[in-house]
Amino acid sequence: MAILLDKPQEVSQEHFLLKIAMKGANFAPGQFINIKTTEGTDPLLRRPFSIFDAEGDIAHIIVRVVGRGTSLISKMEKGEINVLGPLGKGFTLEKNKNLLLVGGGVGNAPLYFLARELKNRGNKLTYIYAAKTKNYIFYEDLYRGLVDEFLLFTDDGSAGTKGVPTEMARDIISGSGFERVYCCGPDPMMEKVVNMASASAAVEVSMENYFGCGVGLCMGCTVDTIHGFKRACMDGPVFNGREVIWSKE
Amino acid sequence: MDTKIKIGDLILKNPITVASGTAGYGEEMNTFFDISRLGAIFTKGLSLQPRKGNYGNRVLETPSGLLNSIGLENVGVEEFLDKKLPFLLSKGATPIPNIAGHTIEENIELCKILSNTKGIDAVELNVSCPNVKQGGMAFGTNMEIFCDLIKKARKATSCALIVKLSPNVTDVASFAIAAEELGADAVSAVNTFLGMKIDIKTGKPHFNNKVAGLSGPAIKPMAVRIVYQVYEKIKIPIIGQGGISSLEDTLEFIMAGASAISIGTANLIEPSISVNILDELQNYMIENKISAISDIIGLAH
Ligand SMILES: Cc1cc2nc3c(=O)[nH]c(=O)nc-3n(C[C@H](O)[C@H](O)[C@H](O)COP(=O)(O)OP(=O)(O)OC[C@H]3O[C@@H](n4cnc5c(N)ncnc54)[C@H](O)[C@@H]3O)c2cc1C
Ligand SMILES: Cc1cc2nc3c(=O)[nH]c(=O)nc-3n(C[C@H](O)[C@H](O)[C@H](O)COP(=O)(O)O)c2cc1C
Ligand code: FES
Repeated sequence: MAILLDKPQEVSQEHFLLKIAMKGANFAPGQFINIKTTEGTDPLLRRPFSIFDAEGDIAHIIVRVVGRGTSLISKMEKGEINVLGPLGKGFTLEKNKNLLLVGGGVGNAPLYFLARELKNRGNKLTYIYAAKTKNYIFYEDLYRGLVDEFLLFTDDGSAGTKGVPTEMARDIISGSGFERVYCCGPDPMMEKVVNMASASAAVEVSMENYFGCGVGLCMGCTVDTIHGFKRACMDGPVFNGREVIWSKE
Repeated sequence: MDTKIKIGDLILKNPITVASGTAGYGEEMNTFFDISRLGAIFTKGLSLQPRKGNYGNRVLETPSGLLNSIGLENVGVEEFLDKKLPFLLSKGATPIPNIAGHTIEENIELCKILSNTKGIDAVELNVSCPNVKQGGMAFGTNMEIFCDLIKKARKATSCALIVKLSPNVTDVASFAIAAEELGADAVSAVNTFLGMKIDIKTGKPHFNNKVAGLSGPAIKPMAVRIVYQVYEKIKIPIIGQGGISSLEDTLEFIMAGASAISIGTANLIEPSISVNILDELQNYMIENKISAISDIIGLAH
């Protein structure tokens, strides 16, 4: 059984940090864990969350409260917690390269762990952090302190530059200097980043579909790609952004 | 202690199985536990050609339930025989392919191919699939078409034939009686109940296919009722299913008349739940001095 080490800690408005000890686990950036929010049958399904950071076999996640399951998680007491994971395939870890990371909202969570691992591998990192509003931003200082260049955007201009990066930072995102672009956020944002990125850059995105099981059993989490339907939970959640077919039929 | 269950000539080592569409082809489950321990694995509904399945939303949680509209995405019979079946057999599992053709001819062809394959001793015919040649209505909801399909499937199938009943009819038992009369070796009861979700923001159905199948604990009382009713009318074994998530649920279905049970939606939440329930069932039999599972089948009648 996994152990929730402390009561969930509010790190910004509606966002909570959980530290979960999972004996013997090894986490990679982009992987996720799947949490049962209650003992009973309602809510029935587990809820997936990306690894925000890891210390040995302790996973850190950031949970944004958007519904009943996430609300239950935010009110959990420390102690036993029913978690499966780590699950899924993570990001490609480059070495000694010039890289761009673009996060939108709680999609910034997996990119912190990624940035930390990329920094350990001698990469130069530019980080674009987008949020709806100042109060939603979590751990700005941690991100800022970690990367070489940090750019902040909010929809309402309450912090950083006003507007969305796919409008306000087009030049940077499309810059030819980056060998790889990593992106996690709402689908429309990821689609724009993929289309905007320089043709010479590889682009990886982390998809956040609705999951039935998270372990490959139900075929519920399909992502349409140029290689056919893929399961976000097993074949992803990280995909080559250029292979994803974004517009849904 | 005797946990064996006979279906036609196939003997299941125990009555705990996993339901079609919630266990893939056993590969993922085998990373959680030894799949040879299960009575059987019902694999994902097969078609002759690979099927891509539905676009758009495919699953949605409901209170204690799950709506799904996967659209029978599967690898097709060729890859099943080349890759999936050899894996299952190499692990010592008992695979029962689920047949999900969209025409009578496709179903018959699948029955022929699969039942003549070494290592396959039973097939399950999913009659809840849309019958594309006759307006897309499910085979399992029209008695005439149902009987036509079962008659032909029986002729084409050289191993045990299990008919998986649709609950979306007024009298499931009458379909069970017809299946028995036409030579089925067992029935599975029941498949998902038709349900629907309207997205109040868009004012449109949530699923592209509009309707979806409801499964999980929410359907359990209805499934138990159907198993109970079917048991009164037929002699062939019933594989009970619908929301089973615990030993207690399992016993309820067995006492209602199921000879074996399938765990479906619960696998998605606890991938190892089937073997956990199997362990609990064995302990329960010891504690309650039940020497054979057959002693409690249909106890509620
Ligand atoms: C691989 C992956 C990683 C994720 N990582 C994180 C993370 O690090 N932090 C985080 O806060 N969230 C993350 N999510 C999203 C998170 O899983 C959902 O927000 C959560 O499941 C919603 O549960 P709920 O019961 O609160 O919402 P519900 O009450 O079920 O639904 C409330 C609203 O949220 C929407 N919703 C439900 N499930 C999802 C989903 N999977 N994705 C997006 N919207 C959803 C519903 O459509 C609805 O509008 C991730 C999702 C995936 C698939
Ligand atoms: C995601 C999903 C996919 C399913 N796919 C199939 C299928 O391919 N063929 C079939 O006969 N039944 C299929 N079913 C129905 C199940 O096998 C089972 O009969 C039903 O869900 C009731 O059991 P449960 O409530 O335990 O899930 C599927 C169910 C789910 C939830
Ligand atoms: S969520 Fe079930 S297969 Fe991916």
